[in-house]
Amino acid sequence: MINTNKRTWFILSFLFPTFLFFTVFTIYPIARGMYISLFDWSGSSEFMTYVGFHNFVELAKDSILWKAVANDYFLVAGKVIGIVVLATFFAVAVTRFKIRGAKFYRIIFFMPNIISVVVIGVLWRFIYNPNIGILNSLLSIFTEEPVRTPWLGQAGTALWSILWPSIWAGVGFYFLLLVAAILNIPASLYEAAEMDGASEGRQFWSITVPLIWEQIKVSILHIAITTLNGSFVMVWIMTEGGPDNATQVMGSYLYQMGFKQFHMGYASAIGVMILVISLITTLVLQRLLRRDETQLS
Amino acid sequence: MKKTKLAAMLVACFMLLTVMGCGAKSGSETGGNATNAPTATPAQSKEPAQEGLTGEFEIQYFVGGYGDAWWLETIEQFQQANPKLNIKQSAGAVINDQMKPRWIQGDPPDVVYIDGAGSNPRQMIEDDQLLDITEWIQEAKNANSERLLDVLISQPEVYGGKVYNLPLVFGAYGNFYDQALFEKNGWKVPTDYNSFLALSEEIKASGISPYVHTGVYPEYIHGGFLFPAIISANGDNTNILVDMGEMKEGVFQSEPILKALEKLSEISSLGYIDKASSALNHTDSQMLFLQHQSAFIPNGLWLESEMKNDTPEDFKFAYIPSVTQSNGGKYVAIPYTATVAIAKKAKNVEAAKAFIEFAFTKQHSLNFAEKTGALMNVKADLESSTASDVVKGAMNFYSDGSTLVAPVVEFNPDVKTEMNNATVALTLGKITPQQWGERVEAAAAKARK
Repeated sequence: MINTNKRTWFILSFLFPTFLFFTVFTIYPIARGMYISLFDWSGSSEFMTYVGFHNFVELAKDSILWKAVANDYFLVAGKVIGIVVLATFFAVAVTRFKIRGAKFYRIIFFMPNIISVVVIGVLWRFIYNPNIGILNSLLSIFTEEPVRTPWLGQAGTALWSILWPSIWAGVGFYFLLLVAAILNIPASLYEAAEMDGASEGRQFWSITVPLIWEQIKVSILHIAITTLNGSFVMVWIMTEGGPDNATQVMGSYLYQMGFKQFHMGYASAIGVMILVISLITTLVLQRLLRRDETQLS
Repeated sequence: MKKTKLAAMLVACFMLLTVMGCGAKSGSETGGNATNAPTATPAQSKEPAQEGLTGEFEIQYFVGGYGDAWWLETIEQFQQANPKLNIKQSAGAVINDQMKPRWIQGDPPDVVYIDGAGSNPRQMIEDDQLLDITEWIQEAKNANSERLLDVLISQPEVYGGKVYNLPLVFGAYGNFYDQALFEKNGWKVPTDYNSFLALSEEIKASGISPYVHTGVYPEYIHGGFLFPAIISANGDNTNILVDMGEMKEGVFQSEPILKALEKLSEISSLGYIDKASSALNHTDSQMLFLQHQSAFIPNGLWLESEMKNDTPEDFKFAYIPSVTQSNGGKYVAIPYTATVAIAKKAKNVEAAKAFIEFAFTKQHSLNFAEKTGALMNVKADLESSTASDVVKGAMNFYSDGSTLVAPVVEFNPDVKTEMNNATVALTLGKITPQQWGERVEAAAAKARK
């Protein structure tokens, strides 16, 4: 009796603070955000006017918002493909192809992850600078006229230009995740495959991919969620959503509306929409990525 | 037994949380002080014969590019003049965010200096947070017994027939160039739009781009090019800018605005605007200007001091208010400002008014130039001050009759955003002046609701 009592207290002492903090710092802000989204509120006024679902009706009619949603999905798709392909490729390269200095590459690839996103944004702004940026200087080697493309300043290239640094900054983490997964695969499997005459490509598709699928799945979901919630930082530092809303994402539009144009109710409605869209995306992705689980027995 | 224990623990936790909540609240009230701004303590050494104001008085000011030296000194003098007044300063670089909860709760300071990120006087007025000072300001006299409105350089903005805030800082947008570069190349500073076009062609031929602007923040090209062009096209009548601020129906599609937009469209299609502009923020564009990659930059009078550490030695900053006036027309300068106001729910309105009367004097104006290198909105003899040559030169433009200084206009944030976006699209050749007008007119119609 005393023992079970102790055990209950022990478990409670872990659960209760977690639950408390979760409630205060996650559930409450979300609920409050949903509540504010039903009001017309500047964000600084004493007075809030209840408007029901008016903000959501306005959202549906707002062409900039739909552009932002499209941009968000462009970044999700670009980052998922770019990061997963590159991370898998690099992970296989440093684990399976006995490359010299594999450890060195692990550090190098992880480097962008320990740099603040703000620094990355500023750094890449310099790379893209039309007049003194290294990208245009490099391109100018191959052309007669010096290249002066304002990568971040024209609608056609701006979003692509935000995608590359996002991939560059993201690869390292997922690379390490996949390296760890590949190292967990027993070498005997590969040896057996080799004896049976399976090529490297065959081994990759039939052994490596199935056995690291869980990690790939987690990576894809994680990239999708963090992009929908967090692409704001990169966008805000590099373009502030411009030129003419060409790179606006939901997060940056929320900030613009809430803190620059003083429509906090509307911004909260965008926040609710981000929540809903993230949930739907995660569910759909989980559905799509479901695959017979392959486990080492 | 188990249940009571659990309940006790729950209660304890909630009590703890409540205490934490209280702690955070009182912390935010005192946390407003700037790092190097000690809360002014009453100067008790003054002779007791002095009466002055009494009670509590709180002032909120943002500390940014102008620093806090002027504020500290002015408030200290005000304290000495009113030894029985208990002054509290809430100041700092993020003071707007820190004080926000108090404004929302209806417990604002008495006087507020509205500047920096997260502050917008127009929004404060719409939120009904500022005191209507229309009547008081007509009669108010400063500490030197001069009528306050008479000593101001730029008059307060009128919102719906009422005055709520006073411009404290005075500055203006305009176009900057390097006089040394111009002299070296024998370029003549343009006096009107046609001479600007001719000079731009010459500059372009020499391999330098004539005009670089800050595409990420189109406020600069609005202040230096578009708005002066609008006023010139309106026969030097500045009322159109006020109408734009008040979002009068149809104003954004009116002829003067379309004419001005044609000019902007013209210089971009002629290739006079640096192609890089749309991608640049203010530091990027200012850097290109300092590197002589561009001959002109539309900017504000703060430019010289902002770039002091990066300016090459032989660089000679020079200023013209506008380049868009017709031959023989006046220059047009678009002012910028940061204002002070009294909170509608101020607890010590008397002290708040007294502080404004105390601060808006020549002496404090000179001290402002001394401490910040910028101008306070009170007329003073600058020649003896330490204001920069560019600022003094600009003042000559304003006082010799060649320049029309437009009134201060604070735009509705929605309309301003749409103007910014549309202007970038126009300079990129994506939309026509007519489409610019339609877009901004639509934004204004929505904001009027």
